Amino acid sequence: MNYLKEMLASRELLINLTMREVKGKYKRTVFGQLWSLANPLALMLIYTFVFAFIIRIELPPGDPSGLNVFAIWLLCGLLPWIFFANVLNSGVTSLVSNAGLIQKVAFSRVVLPLSQVASAAYNWLFEIAVLVVVLSILGAFVLPWLPLVVVAMALLAVFASGLALMLSIANVYFRDTQWFLSIILQLGMYLSPVIYPVTMVADASEGVGGIWGTPVTILDLYHLNPMVHFLDVFRSLLYDNRWPDPTAWLVCIAWAVGALVVGLWVFRRNEKNLAEAL
Amino acid sequence: MSDVAVRVDHVSKSFRMYHERNQTLKSAIMRGRTSVHEDFWALQDVSFDVPEGSTFGLIGSNGSGKSTLLKCLAKIYHPNKGTITHYGKLAAMLEVGSGFHHELSGRENIYLNGSILGMSRKEIDRKFDDIVGFSGVEQFIDQPVKNYSSGMYVRLGFSVAINVDPDILVVDEVLAVGDAEFQKKCFDKFAEFKRSGKTVILVSHSMDSVRAMCDHAAWLNKGTLKAVGEATPTIAAYEASLDN
Repeated sequence: MNYLKEMLASRELLINLTMREVKGKYKRTVFGQLWSLANPLALMLIYTFVFAFIIRIELPPGDPSGLNVFAIWLLCGLLPWIFFANVLNSGVTSLVSNAGLIQKVAFSRVVLPLSQVASAAYNWLFEIAVLVVVLSILGAFVLPWLPLVVVAMALLAVFASGLALMLSIANVYFRDTQWFLSIILQLGMYLSPVIYPVTMVADASEGVGGIWGTPVTILDLYHLNPMVHFLDVFRSLLYDNRWPDPTAWLVCIAWAVGALVVGLWVFRRNEKNLAEAL
Repeated sequence: MSDVAVRVDHVSKSFRMYHERNQTLKSAIMRGRTSVHEDFWALQDVSFDVPEGSTFGLIGSNGSGKSTLLKCLAKIYHPNKGTITHYGKLAAMLEVGSGFHHELSGRENIYLNGSILGMSRKEIDRKFDDIVGFSGVEQFIDQPVKNYSSGMYVRLGFSVAINVDPDILVVDEVLAVGDAEFQKKCFDKFAEFKRSGKTVILVSHSMDSVRAMCDHAAWLNKGTLKAVGEATPTIAAYEASLDN
């Protein structure tokens, strides 16, 4: 309870540190905030060329939105994934790169990883806003679903925060963490339905059947990846414009709450030693 | 005057001295352990009271534990044993300009640095003119701080820190910032602090400045408390030990 109070008391610091990240990031660039769109757009172009034009992934049209544009379908999953990856990549080094500050000033340490989440979320909001405009122009009836999109974004942000809290502490003791993470995130993107639909995994899994005679299928293992469920929720809301599967919601909530609780616990246990350990 | 501002009660602090430290996973696995270390006691059973309204000097040679104690006071380190209790708002000044972002302007950095030091936005709004006035960088306040001279940079940092306005101020040897004129301003500010009944705890190697400013002092040697009390006899005892 005291911890919550302490975090509430440092919300101004959180805002200021977030603004430091946001303002400092694209300072002295000509395009400023537009750079935030550059990376997703470049990925969108190359993935669309490879997976829609060369490999020709079969995609069911959005139901009931009727959309059938691979590039847009891709962005609905790619933007949440990029946000997730950005939070983890910047969160993991958030304590180590602020070592000087931690050793000289007493303040609530938890704001350091959380400000990385908040600044990534700021860019993400901007990207999603642009996507929503594009979706609306293409005829998707996405506006009524916006409140739920915001809820889903909040859930993913909570989930990513929990992981970032754990990883930032781990990186203080083992600097390998950040390098491991970048590899795991690269693999994770291909193990999540970012550039292909889950239905393709289901088809492939059916062809194989149970693994080694057990009833466990590849699809079951695939579903252990929390991002499968998060991306499902985002695509249902943004691309299909329908109510996502309730179990997907529940799985997302469970992962988000679980990650946050464990993350805060790990962080709280270690934060007093940070000034010495760094 | 006889009230206690800070009570240091049987404080001990140890650090791990690593003979081997495996901060990468490979070395941790290859060696089968994360570290080999022994405890080094930087502070051993230190107890004293800092009277309210005093200017309290911490003196001692290098490696005596002054800075460790200061960091314990500032709540950056947490003692292994014993407790430190303070009565009133405490602020520490161990470095000036903590968390300044080079690309941001002086104005933005005042807000950033102020909130790191625990000030609210309203407080900074109210003190903004004082801070800028004290630092003497009015003209450049909307320039990015990377264009500041090092003197301007530390002056701005110092001005933010001094305007936190605590009941108890903990200061490391950051007094020696800026030119002679600014140093005089700083000394005046400390004197003003003292006049308004506030407590200052400072660490310094310069016996002259300790003698000039402090009325109480504590002398640390190799992590233990050698003497504490009125400044003059404590400083005399420390200097006598140096002569031997």
